Amino acid sequence: MTTSEKVVELLNQAALIPADEKLIVLKQVQELIINKDPSLLDNFLDEMIAFQTDKSIEVRKFVIGFIEEACKRDNELLLRLIANLNMLLKDDSVNVVKKAILTLTQLYKVTLQWLVRSRTGSDMQEACWDLVTQMKEDVLVLLDSENDGVRTHAIKFTESLIITLSPRTSDSDIPKRQEGDISLDKVPKDHSYIRYDVLCEEGKIALDKLLKFMVHPAISSINLTTALGSLATIARQRPMFMSKVVQAYETLHANLPPTLAKSQVSSVRKNLKLHLVAVLKHPCSLEFQGQISTLLLDLGMPQSEITRSTPAPREQRKRPRHEPYTEGKKVKMEPIEDDEDKEEPAPLIAPKPAAVPVAQSAIDLTAEFLHPLLNPENVANLVLISMVYLPDVMPASFQATYTPVESAGTDAQIKHLARLMATQMTAAGIGPGLEQCKAKEDNAGKEDDADDDSGTKDLLIKRKMPALVFGQAISVLGGYSGNTPATETPTTKRLPEPILPSAQTKMTGASGRKKVFRLADVIQPLSEAQIEQLTSKSVNRILHSEKAIAQSGVSHVRVKLLSRLVTQFEGMMKDEVLQFILDDIRTRSDLAFALLYQEYNTYLSQLPAGLLDSYDHCLFTLLSGLQEKPEQRDGLFTKLVLEAPIITESALEVIRRYCEDESRVYLGMTTLKELIVKRPSRQFQYLHVLLDLSSHEKEKVRNTALNFLKRMYEKDHLRDYIEKFALNYMQLLVHPNPPSLLFGADKDTEVAAPWTEETVRQCLFLYLSLLPLNHRLVHELASVYTEAIADIKRNVLRAIEQPIRGMGMNSPELLLLVENCPKGAETLVTRCLHILTDKDLYHKRVPDVRFLIPVINGLEKNEVIQALPKLIKLNPIVVKEVFNRLLGTQHSEGSSSVSPLTPGDLLIALHNIDSTKCDMKSIIKATNLCFGEKNVYTSEVLAVVMQQLMEQNPLPMLLMRTVIQSLTMYPRLGGFVMNILSRLIVKQVWKYPKVWEGFVKCCQRTKPQSYSVLLQLPPAQLNSVFERCPEMREPLLHHVHSFTPHQQAHIPSSIMAVLEANKKPEPKPVEPVMEKEVSVFKCLESMAPAVSTPEEAPAVTSSKPEAPGHEEPAVLRPAEEEEPMEQEESEPVIQEDAAESHPQVKLGYEASGSFSSVHEPPITTKGTSRLITLPSRLSETDWLGLADRDEGKENRATKVLSTKNMYIHICMYIYTYMCVCVCVCVCVY
Amino acid sequence: MPSHPLRVAVVCSSNQNRSMEAHNFLSKRGFDVRSFGTGSHVKLPGPAPDKPNVYDFKTTYEQMYNDLVRKDKELYTQNGILHMLDRNKRIKTKPERFQDCKEKFDLVITCEERVYDQVLEDLSSREQETLQPVHVINVDIQDNHEEATLGAFLICELCQCIQHSDDMENEMDELLQEFEEKSKRCFLHTVCFY
Repeated sequence: MTTSEKVVELLNQAALIPADEKLIVLKQVQELIINKDPSLLDNFLDEMIAFQTDKSIEVRKFVIGFIEEACKRDNELLLRLIANLNMLLKDDSVNVVKKAILTLTQLYKVTLQWLVRSRTGSDMQEACWDLVTQMKEDVLVLLDSENDGVRTHAIKFTESLIITLSPRTSDSDIPKRQEGDISLDKVPKDHSYIRYDVLCEEGKIALDKLLKFMVHPAISSINLTTALGSLATIARQRPMFMSKVVQAYETLHANLPPTLAKSQVSSVRKNLKLHLVAVLKHPCSLEFQGQISTLLLDLGMPQSEITRSTPAPREQRKRPRHEPYTEGKKVKMEPIEDDEDKEEPAPLIAPKPAAVPVAQSAIDLTAEFLHPLLNPENVANLVLISMVYLPDVMPASFQATYTPVESAGTDAQIKHLARLMATQMTAAGIGPGLEQCKAKEDNAGKEDDADDDSGTKDLLIKRKMPALVFGQAISVLGGYSGNTPATETPTTKRLPEPILPSAQTKMTGASGRKKVFRLADVIQPLSEAQIEQLTSKSVNRILHSEKAIAQSGVSHVRVKLLSRLVTQFEGMMKDEVLQFILDDIRTRSDLAFALLYQEYNTYLSQLPAGLLDSYDHCLFTLLSGLQEKPEQRDGLFTKLVLEAPIITESALEVIRRYCEDESRVYLGMTTLKELIVKRPSRQFQYLHVLLDLSSHEKEKVRNTALNFLKRMYEKDHLRDYIEKFALNYMQLLVHPNPPSLLFGADKDTEVAAPWTEETVRQCLFLYLSLLPLNHRLVHELASVYTEAIADIKRNVLRAIEQPIRGMGMNSPELLLLVENCPKGAETLVTRCLHILTDKDLYHKRVPDVRFLIPVINGLEKNEVIQALPKLIKLNPIVVKEVFNRLLGTQHSEGSSSVSPLTPGDLLIALHNIDSTKCDMKSIIKATNLCFGEKNVYTSEVLAVVMQQLMEQNPLPMLLMRTVIQSLTMYPRLGGFVMNILSRLIVKQVWKYPKVWEGFVKCCQRTKPQSYSVLLQLPPAQLNSVFERCPEMREPLLHHVHSFTPHQQAHIPSSIMAVLEANKKPEPKPVEPVMEKEVSVFKCLESMAPAVSTPEEAPAVTSSKPEAPGHEEPAVLRPAEEEEPMEQEESEPVIQEDAAESHPQVKLGYEASGSFSSVHEPPITTKGTSRLITLPSRLSETDWLGLADRDEGKENRATKVLSTKNMYIHICMYIYTYMCVCVCVCVCVY
Repeated sequence: MPSHPLRVAVVCSSNQNRSMEAHNFLSKRGFDVRSFGTGSHVKLPGPAPDKPNVYDFKTTYEQMYNDLVRKDKELYTQNGILHMLDRNKRIKTKPERFQDCKEKFDLVITCEERVYDQVLEDLSSREQETLQPVHVINVDIQDNHEEATLGAFLICELCQCIQHSDDMENEMDELLQEFEEKSKRCFLHTVCFY
C-alpha cells in the first residue's frame, strides 16, 4: 500500500468516525503528508482543510495546527491556506480562536520571511501579505476581547509582533531557537510591497498598544502577568525599548490595579520581581540599574541578591558596547525616527544625540524637577497633608508592597522618592516633565506634518477597527482589501481565498465570486393558496403532535405557539383548532384557555377599534361544544365561563341554553350565579337571564331558577332588580290578553290569545316565590288583583296558597292588607285568610278544634265528621255557631262556599259518633240543636235520615230517639215510622236493648197505629213489651178482638197466648239494666211535651201498664244465653264509668243549662253515662280495637304536646289573632 | 469544558510526599497528571533533623526503600517514610525533576512558594516556542503526611473545578478567588508560556 493509498483510506475513515478517533487518524495523515511524503501535501490539502468546518473544536484546532505545519513545510501553501486561517480566526469557539492566534504568531513571521526572501512579488503574494496584515490588525483588536484567554493570546501575539517588527541588535538577547527568525533588520527597504517604515511603525504602535493595555485599571491578573512577561522578553530581545519597559514597570509598581485581590497582588509582585531580575540580568540594563534595584528592594528582594543578579562585571565592558548600540540603533532607526508617534506618552528625544540619556522621559524630567524640592520641611508637610487622605483600611496592595525603607534619607532614597512621585504625577497628567514633552512633541509634530501621514493613517486604522470587529462575523473575504491604508496600491488585488470544500461553498455562499448571499434572491414568493396551505399544514402538525410534545415536556410552548398562530391567521385553522379542542376538551382545556386569552389579547391590543367577533366566535364555539357534549361533569363549562375575560351575548345565550337543559340545570345556574356574584359590572345582564328562566316552562328549570333567585334576593344590591322584575312581570296580568313576551321570542303565538292558567302562573312564579321573603310585596298583588279580569283572579287565588302560607299568619304586612283591604280585592283577602286559617293550622300547629270553625265549610266532608266529636263538646254558643255554619243558617247572603255536609249528613254523622269519643249527652244536645232548626230539618230530611240510619248495621243507639223526636215534630210521619218499626222487627231490634227500649216506647206512643207492628213481634218479644208496658196488653187484645174472625185466624196462637196471659213478669237478671235504660226514654218523655205538640202528651201518660206475659222467662232465656259472658264481664266497667262520668256530665249539664231549653232530670245523666259503654258490649273486638287506637292517639298527642310546648305562646297569640280574623270575617260577610 | 483532560503537573521539592500524594489522588480521579520535584536533590528525613537522607533524582523509590529498611526499619516504619515510599514506587519508579521535563502542561501546581519561584524561574528561562500558556498555581502545603493528604484533597478539588469550567482561561481568576475564600488560603497564580 502506497502512502497515498493509505492517506486516502485514513481520510475516508476520518470522515465517518467520532472526533476522538478522528483526531488520531488525522494526526497520522498529517504525519504522512508533511513529514513522510511532503509531495502528497498538495494532493490532500483540500481534503484536510475540509475538516475546518468539523463540529468538534479539537478537530478544528487540529486543522489550524495542520495549516501551521503545512505552511512551515511549504511556504507556497500560505497563499492557499492563509485565508482559511483567517476564517478560523473568526471561529465561534474561543479555543479555536486562541489556537489560530498562536498559529498566526508563527505564520506572521513565516510569511514575512518568505515574502522578503522571494523578492519577485506576484499579485498573489501581495494579496496574501495584505490579508496577513489585516489579520494582524484583527488580533491586535482582540486585546480588547471580552475573553481573558483570548486577550492573553493577543498579548503574546503582540509581543512576538513587536519583536518581529523591530530590528535585532547586537545586544539583543536572542533565544537560540529564534536565531533564524525574521526581524525588521532583515527586511529590505526596497521591497515592492513590504515597506520597512510601515512595518517599523506598526511595531511601535503595537508596543504602545501593549503599554496602554497594561496600565488599564481593570486589567486582569493573568493579563497583567502575561504583559509583564512580554515586556521583559521585549526588553531583553530589543534593549532599545528597555527604558519604556522599565518605566512601565515603575508605573505599575506604584499603581497596582485596584481590582486585584490580595493573593493576586502578591502573584503580580512576584512576577514583577522575576521579570525585573531578568531584565536586570541583561547587559543593557546598566543605566536602569538604579531604578530596577530600587524597585527590587521595594519588592522585598535583599540587596545581596540584587547585586548577584546585576551584571556588574560586564559593566565596564558593556558601556563602550552600549554606545555603539545606541548609535547603531540610531543609525538604523534614523529613517524611521521621523515617524516617531506623536501620541506616545513618553517619547524619546529622538533627534538629539546621545548627550541626553536615551530614556529621558517625562517621568525623568519630573523626577529631576522634584529631587531638589524634597527637603525635610517639604516632605514633612507632604506627610502631614497626606495623612488626611489616608484610607481607613490599609489597601491590599500597600500591605503587600510595604517594606521598611532601609536607606531612608540617603540621596538614592530621595531620588527614588522623587521618581515615585514623578511616576504618579505623570500618570495623573501633571508635572513639568510632561509639559516639556508635550512641547517637544508639538514641535516634532509640526516638523513632521508635511511628509508624515502616519498620524492620519493611525487614525484611519483606529477608525477601521470597530468595523473589523463587526465585519468579522459576516464576511470571509471582507471588503477591506481596498480600504487598508497599508495596501494602498494602484491595482486592486484580491485577497487569498480560503480553500473551501465544494459541499460547503454553496452553504456559506462564499463561492469567491463576491456574491453576497441574499435571501430575497433565492426565494420566490408563494401564492396565496400555497401560503395558506402551508400555514394550515404546519399548524396541523403542531396541533397533532400533542403526545410527542407532552412527552418532551414543552407542551406549554406548543399551547402558546398554537394560540398565537391561530389568532394571528384568520381562516379555517381557527375552526380546526377549536374542533380539535372539543374532541377532547378535558385534556386540551389549557389550549382552549390559551386560545381564548390570546383572542382577547388581540382584541385588547386593537382597542378602541377592535372587534370582539373573533373572541366571541371562539368562546361561543367552545361553550356550545361543551353544551352539546352529552356528558361532562367536571365543571369545565363553569370553569370556561368563569375564566373567560368577557362573556359575550352569544356566550350568554349558550349559558342560557345550558341552564335550560334539565339534566344540567343546577350546574348551569350555579355558573350563572357565580357570574352574577363575581362579575359585578355586568351582573344585571346575567341576572336577567336567570330571571327569565324563572318563568320557564320546564318545572325543574323554573324551580331551580327560583331557588337561586331567592338566595340572591337576600343580597341587597340585587334585591331591587329582582323585585322590579318580578313586579313588572306580575303587572302583565293587568293586560286583557297575555303579552307576547310570555311566549318567548321563538313562539309566534298571537297576542290575542286568552289568558290561560299557565300564562297567569308564568307571570306569578317569581313574585310568589319572593313573597314569603318580602311580605311588603303582597300589596302589589292586591293592586294587580283588583285590575285583573275574573279568569286571572281565579288563577291568582289558586296560586297564592303556598306563598301566603309561607308568609304565615303573623305577618304584619298581611295583616295590613287585611285591614286596608283594597276595593275589589276582598276575595283575595278572604282567600288569604282561608289559607292561613285552614286545617293545616289545626293539624300541624295547634290541635285546637276551634281553629277549624272559621274554615269549617272549607273542609272535606270526612274532615268535618272527624272533627264533630270535638266540636260538639265546645261551649254551646260555639256549637250553635258551628251548626249555623254547617247548616248554612244565619247567612244573609249565599255563602261563598257550600257546606260540605247536608243537614241530613250532619244528623247521621251525629248518630254515628263513637260514644268513646264523645259523651252521649253532647251528642244528644247536638241532635237537639238540629231538631231546633225546623226549617232545615223538614220531615223529608228527617225521613231520609231515619231511612239511612235504619239501614245501618249495627243500629245507631240514638235511632229510636230520633224516630220518636221526628214523630213528635212531624206526626204525619206516623205511617213512615210504622214502616220503620216493621223493618226493625225484621232486623231483630230486640237484640239492641237500647233501641229495643226505644222501640217499645215508640209503639207505646203510636198506638193504636203500632198495634199491627206489635203483632208482628215474636211471642217472646211481645211478652217483653207487655212486661215493660203492661197497660198495652189490654188495648192490644182488644184490638185483636176487634178483628174479623178471618183476621184473627192469622194471629198465631202463641201470640194470642201472650196477649191473653195475665201473669206477673218474673224478675229477670237483666231487669235492673233495663230499668236504668228506660231512663233515656223517660227523659224523652219528659222532653217530649216541650218540643212536641201537647196533643201527644196524653198519649204518653195514658199508656197503661200491662201484665207481663207468663212466657217471659222463656223469652228472656235466649238473651241470657246469647251474651252471658259479656254481661258478667262488662258489669263492673259499666259501674265504674257511671261513677266517673257523673260529675263531668253534671258540669256539662250545668254549663249547658242556661242554653238548653230542655230540662233533664238528674237521673238521666246516670242513664246516659251508662249508655256510653253499651255499644262496646255489642262487639268486644271492636271495642278493644278502638281502645287501642285511642291509646296510640293519646301517645302521639302527648308527644306533640311535649315537642310543641314552646309553641304555646305562639298558639295563644295565634288564637287571639284568629279571633280578630273571625271578627273581620264576620264583618266582611 | 475543554475536550481533552487537563494536563496537570504537581510539583514539590523532593517529589516524595506532597506531590506524590496529590499525584496519587489526581490519577485516581482520571487526570492526566505527573509529579515533580524542583530541588537539586531528593531529601528524606533522617535519624535527626540535621541528618537527612539525601539521594539524587536518579535513585528509584525502590532503592530508597531498601536503603532505609537497611538503615533503620523501625524508625522509618514509625515515621511513615517506608509506607510513603512503598506507595510512591507503585505510582512510578523514581522521582523526577521539573526542570528536566520538557513536556507541556496546562496547569502546574506547586506545593510551596519556594517551589513556585523555582518553577517560574525555570519556565521563564526556557525559550518560548509555541507560546502555549501554562498556569502555575501555588498551594502552600506543609511537608508532613497529614497536610499532604489535606493538600491533595484541595488540589484535586481545584483541578476538578478548573477541568469543569467552560473556558478555563477566562474563568481562572474568578475561580481562584472563590476557591481562596472557600479554603481560606492564598494562592499564587501566574501564567507562563512554552
